[in-house]
Amino acid sequence: MIVAISSTGTSLESKVDPRFGRCPFFIIYNTDDDSFEHVENQARQAMGGAGIQTGQMIAGRGVKAVITGNVGPNAFRVLAAAGVKVYSGVSDQVSDAVQKLKAGELQGTSAPDVGSHFGTGGGGGNN
Amino acid sequence: MIISVASGKGGTGKTTVACNMALSVGYCQFMDYDVEAPNSSFFLKPDIKHIHKVTIKQPYFLRGTGADFSECASFCNYNAVAVVGDDVIFFPELCHGCGGCLLVGPEGAVRENDVIVGEVRKGVASPNIDYYMGDLKPGSMRTISIQGDMDKALNRDELVIIDCPPGTSCSMVFSVKDCDYCILVTEPTPYGLNDLKLSIEVLESMDKPFGVIINRNGIGDDQVEKFCKNSGIKILAMIPNKREIAEYYSRGDSLIEYDSSWKSRFEEIVKEIEKDIRK
Repeated sequence: MIVAISSTGTSLESKVDPRFGRCPFFIIYNTDDDSFEHVENQARQAMGGAGIQTGQMIAGRGVKAVITGNVGPNAFRVLAAAGVKVYSGVSDQVSDAVQKLKAGELQGTSAPDVGSHFGTGGGGGNN
Repeated sequence: MIISVASGKGGTGKTTVACNMALSVGYCQFMDYDVEAPNSSFFLKPDIKHIHKVTIKQPYFLRGTGADFSECASFCNYNAVAVVGDDVIFFPELCHGCGGCLLVGPEGAVRENDVIVGEVRKGVASPNIDYYMGDLKPGSMRTISIQGDMDKALNRDELVIIDCPPGTSCSMVFSVKDCDYCILVTEPTPYGLNDLKLSIEVLESMDKPFGVIINRNGIGDDQVEKFCKNSGIKILAMIPNKREIAEYYSRGDSLIEYDSSWKSRFEEIVKEIEKDIRK
């Protein structure tokens, strides 16, 4: 299974980034052969709808599960439509998060856990 | 002549100044452009004669036709359209209504319908005020659509007073873009001063003449006054911080009812502004 982990950096020692839509990187991890690569998250610069764009990118890569800190309502809708399972509330090192997922210790999330604009830093905004 | 009444910080007294100026002069067009929270009607008590809805165009996508909408998704700068597998998801609150998805999407499969984003109320207020108030529908982000609709009624041949939204974002810029003069209402506090400077930056970049009214004078410090004097900015008036004024306000009564000398002061301010912009 291919898993995408929002990450502060490009290695397995990086921390899980608390933001889904506006994290700098994703670690794309294949749990079948323990291979991984990183992708830069272009959508984090988006004026609006970063989570939506990120969700489409993730879905387009055949990812089946996402591990992250928080997912907003719009991103959650995209991921749900794509059949991607969401594990949120994770703040470990990326490698630990992957081990926990493999061991079945992570709980799937069934609803968005933050409002819109969580990851924008300045309280979001509609302007 | 169009006078916009703006402020950086919210709650400094824009509506107080705008309404009292309108009541003092008596004959004007009053425009409440603070469409997210219009409250001038509490003070002007207009008799509303006409209400019309403001609509925008919004796309909808014909599903199940096998059409591929991925061009729409990649075109949209605001990510209002998402394509996942064969499905398309539309996020109306992110849509700016540009119509781009109709142009780049599969022919005939993207259509538009009208969506109500709010309304404009028109009426008359005593003594001789042509009153307009925009009211954005809760949940809608289309502030500018409402203000744009009100723009059509602006009549520069008479005195127009625009009650602006707070801040320095698009809706404020839109409310001052046509004005001949802008009154910035602030309070004498560090927060008031900081936001006053932000508003001044906006007005200077738009080449708009402006002056300052300090409201609730007596709270805070003297930094706003010093800043204005050092920068050569005209202070049009200082309204004192008084419990009685707040009490009048809380009942929807005006400053000029509390103290009738404000009527002539506001009339003078309008005359001064007229002279100022003719220079």
